Amino acid sequence: MPYIKDTIAARATPSGRGGIGIIRVSGPGVTQIGRQILGAMPAPRLATYSEFSDGKGVIDQGIALYFNAPNSFTGEEVLELQGHGGPVVLEMLLNRVVNLGARIAGPGEFSQRAYLNEKIDLTQAEAVADLINSSTEAAARGAVRSLQGEFSTRINALVSQVVALRVFVEASIDFPEEEIDFLSDDRIALQLAEVFRELEAVLHETNQGALLIEGASVVLMGKPNAGKSSLMNLLTGRDTSIVTDIPGTTRDVVNETLQLDGIPLRLVDTAGIRDSLDKIEAEGVKRALAAGEQADLVIAVVDASEPDAPKQAESLMDDPRTVVVFNKIDLVTNTDRFIDAIHMSAKTGVGLHSLKDQLKERLGLSLHVGSGFTARKRHIVALGYGKDALAAASTLLTEQRAGELVAEELRVCQQHLAEITGEFTADDLLGEIFGSFCIGK
Amino acid sequence: MSNQNRFDVIVVGGGHAGTEAALASARAGASTLLLTQNIETLGQMSCNPAIGGIGKSHLVKEIDALGGAMAIAADRAGIHFRVLNSRKGPAVRATRAQADRQLYRVAIRHIVENQHGLSLFQQSVDDLHIENGRVTGVLTNMGLSFHAPTVVLTVGTFLGGLIHVGMDKQAGGRAGDAPSNALADRLRELPFTVDRLKTGTPPRIDGRSVDFSDLEEQPGDEPRPTMSYLSSLADHPKQVSCHITHTSEKTHDIIRGGLDRSPLYSGEIEGIGPRYCPSIEDKVVRFSDKNSHQIFIEPEGLGTHELYPNGISTSLPYDVQVNLVRSIEGFENAHITRPGYAIEYDYFEPRELQPSLETRHVAGLYFAGQINGTTGYEEAAAQGLVAGLNAARQSQGKEPWCPKRSEAYIGVLIDDLITMGTREPYRMFTSRAEYRLILRQDNADRRLTEMGRELGIVSEDRWTRFCEKRNRIDQLSDEMRGRFVQPGNAGIEALLGQALTREYSLHDLAKRPEVKVSELLSTIGHEKLPDHVTEQVEIDSKYQGYIVRQLDEIARIKAQQDFPLPLDLDYAVIHGLSNEVVQKLNQVKPSSLGQAGRISGVTPAAVSILLVHLKKQGKIPVRQSA
Repeated sequence: MPYIKDTIAARATPSGRGGIGIIRVSGPGVTQIGRQILGAMPAPRLATYSEFSDGKGVIDQGIALYFNAPNSFTGEEVLELQGHGGPVVLEMLLNRVVNLGARIAGPGEFSQRAYLNEKIDLTQAEAVADLINSSTEAAARGAVRSLQGEFSTRINALVSQVVALRVFVEASIDFPEEEIDFLSDDRIALQLAEVFRELEAVLHETNQGALLIEGASVVLMGKPNAGKSSLMNLLTGRDTSIVTDIPGTTRDVVNETLQLDGIPLRLVDTAGIRDSLDKIEAEGVKRALAAGEQADLVIAVVDASEPDAPKQAESLMDDPRTVVVFNKIDLVTNTDRFIDAIHMSAKTGVGLHSLKDQLKERLGLSLHVGSGFTARKRHIVALGYGKDALAAASTLLTEQRAGELVAEELRVCQQHLAEITGEFTADDLLGEIFGSFCIGK
Repeated sequence: MSNQNRFDVIVVGGGHAGTEAALASARAGASTLLLTQNIETLGQMSCNPAIGGIGKSHLVKEIDALGGAMAIAADRAGIHFRVLNSRKGPAVRATRAQADRQLYRVAIRHIVENQHGLSLFQQSVDDLHIENGRVTGVLTNMGLSFHAPTVVLTVGTFLGGLIHVGMDKQAGGRAGDAPSNALADRLRELPFTVDRLKTGTPPRIDGRSVDFSDLEEQPGDEPRPTMSYLSSLADHPKQVSCHITHTSEKTHDIIRGGLDRSPLYSGEIEGIGPRYCPSIEDKVVRFSDKNSHQIFIEPEGLGTHELYPNGISTSLPYDVQVNLVRSIEGFENAHITRPGYAIEYDYFEPRELQPSLETRHVAGLYFAGQINGTTGYEEAAAQGLVAGLNAARQSQGKEPWCPKRSEAYIGVLIDDLITMGTREPYRMFTSRAEYRLILRQDNADRRLTEMGRELGIVSEDRWTRFCEKRNRIDQLSDEMRGRFVQPGNAGIEALLGQALTREYSLHDLAKRPEVKVSELLSTIGHEKLPDHVTEQVEIDSKYQGYIVRQLDEIARIKAQQDFPLPLDLDYAVIHGLSNEVVQKLNQVKPSSLGQAGRISGVTPAAVSILLVHLKKQGKIPVRQSA
């Protein structure tokens, strides 16, 4: 999107509710617009009580806040008008601002300007977008933490640790006569292990953040008539899926979102997996299998009343993403056969609690819902590659003592982390080396 | 008569950049004139008597692969050869030769004098002829004019050279040689950005006054490597040893006592010295916790007793130099033959150069070597080759050529210089190359000789030998992929130290870290092949996974990297770029989007704004990167 330096305005609070409504204006026209509405511009960064005028009369009364460039969120002149939250009054105020020369901002345009004016980095800009889009409270808290740069701080700390390692590795390659041989030095292996643990920890927390933002996808799978649709309805509290006694009723993928203690879940009901001659049902089965492959978690529903139920369950347990549920437990008298799985009845509601607990635990959210970073998929992918590279570096160091390959894996690791935080050049690395060792003949 | 003064290319300067520039230009078919202050000092090594080393031998072998002289001369003059990092992997191995200065000059002069199309003339240059922003020739100090559409300046430390020993200073291009002040003054009038750098050299010592009995001897490596792909061991002269000694606490006390008369610490020297080649006074001050520093004692040649004590470069006053030298083990009675000194000189902002090394301010004028802020014979020679070749190509109406970062260390060197500039004398290191596993010293010929042949700078003889080597490598590689060994093959299992669990191709077995291709071949009774053939196949197999990954990385960024930016683009008109970024882009005038992104201070946000701008102009058919 081209960056034209005009003046933009938008309602900064959600529409339709709230005791306070804020209009934010940013750009070179702020002073002129402010004078017309307020009579005079307030002093920068000083909350000033004022009447908001439309030229003929008073629209509203409230607080005006002025941030002069570049000391504002966007880096431009910014005016915030905080009035009463009623939609009609706010609409009138916004119209007035637009009549005075501003245009309505596009989605995320304030953040974009902040980013282009280098007031915030890319991860912070994305966090702002996440904050705006976040649908649940926990996600909003995560977004605030990323915005404050906690995520950037953790990644930057990781990068410095990788750089510290590279300093030794590269120095021993480029200056072999300077007696800095890291390969014979156990400290490097220990340091490598430590960075690996830290990266794993960040990745784990980031994964939680991604689940918070994007929602975990949970797919219900099982044989026809195992009770998947009943379970879906029980979990969502709605009658989304049609439930009958006829196997194969659900012929396509049915989607529903729900919140589990503030975590958004996308619950997907699928057609029962069986060989079917029915063309439509066969297509449904195909889609069910595809949905299962992409899911964060699969709930495998087994009809406990079938004689081979334990055997069915056994074949499903191998996949670590699978939670096995023995449904229709109310029809079974002896439950001893069904160990290591959730016993439940979608009909009576028995076992619903343990299922929910199990889901939370499996999604890695049971312990600290509050500690996740909101991260984009690209952050997770980058961290994942970085982790793979570190693991490879560790193997190459301990098993092969292959210095140049350890160096290559560390370079790759840092490159992936730099996709999150920004560049670090070879010359920067040399600077670190020269600062750490006395080098040169 | 006028024909005698008219050439396609004029090269000014007869150092490592100048000789390679003149040779490359002449090989490319341009009539070339090499002007030097002194024919006797063609190919002079004015600092340490060594060619190669980490990162540097990579450059030397690339120059060799492109038909240059440096590697061949190093083989003819090399009196001590080592393979550095021999216990690490092939990608970071390097070759270094201690060279006899005199033999090296003889070898270079022999190659220069026998190059078809190259004329030599001894005369210093005082001025450039420039018409309408284009260079047209040069004026010498005798008042002679020579004309050419292209001129390559390789004047090293001779521009405004100032030599410091203690608080004494004198003008000079190198101890014993006059600086080129008239030319320096003239260049300062042109719109180039000029700055100062500093480098230094240690005192030289008479070997007869050194007691070697307690010093550690360092003989050359066996088997002995060669520098050039064309050389054999028969080209080497007699081999000698180096020695190692160390400074002591007493040495450091003497240095600390003389700092008040050091031009470095009294503010006399403005130029910035290299971080990796500090003077001994710098090392003592900056790393005060180290109580000893290593010194390599390098012979200056077979025909002289003079020694080069590598590691004690200094500009302290002469009386301090004598005391500090004599405080070192083995040097107790040493006689200094030449004092150490620091030299400050002019260099030109390399960000004002194009990838061809043509200056942006004066068309047809090329700069190569220390004038661009580099240090080292190898870095100079590499630039000389590229500048000389491109000067010739321009005179012939052909497009310039410069290798990419993914193709050669020469490409890394030039891209770093013209993109990032330098604030200290720039030296090559392997860590500067992101594609280090591909850019090895062992495969420089496989990376570049074919290109060199197309450019017309690789001789028939070199081409024939290269093709033969390449064919044998390809043949062996195919053969190993197609030849399988079965479980129960006793010879192979003995070699591996374990039983085979299934059928393997020889190629797959060669990927294992501990397996040598030559041993595999002899185990299955294959005819013996030359080492340079089996070595290449072995390295290819061991690095295969990494090479594939690096090639993927190169391919992935290629489209955006290579997208050309117009040289006349005024970045101030692009909305959204900060003033700082505009200034940097206008200074460098990057030739591609990739180069723009590598400029320090140019953020990814700025690159995406550039992308957006170009897209709006309809100049770029790419999607915006995330």
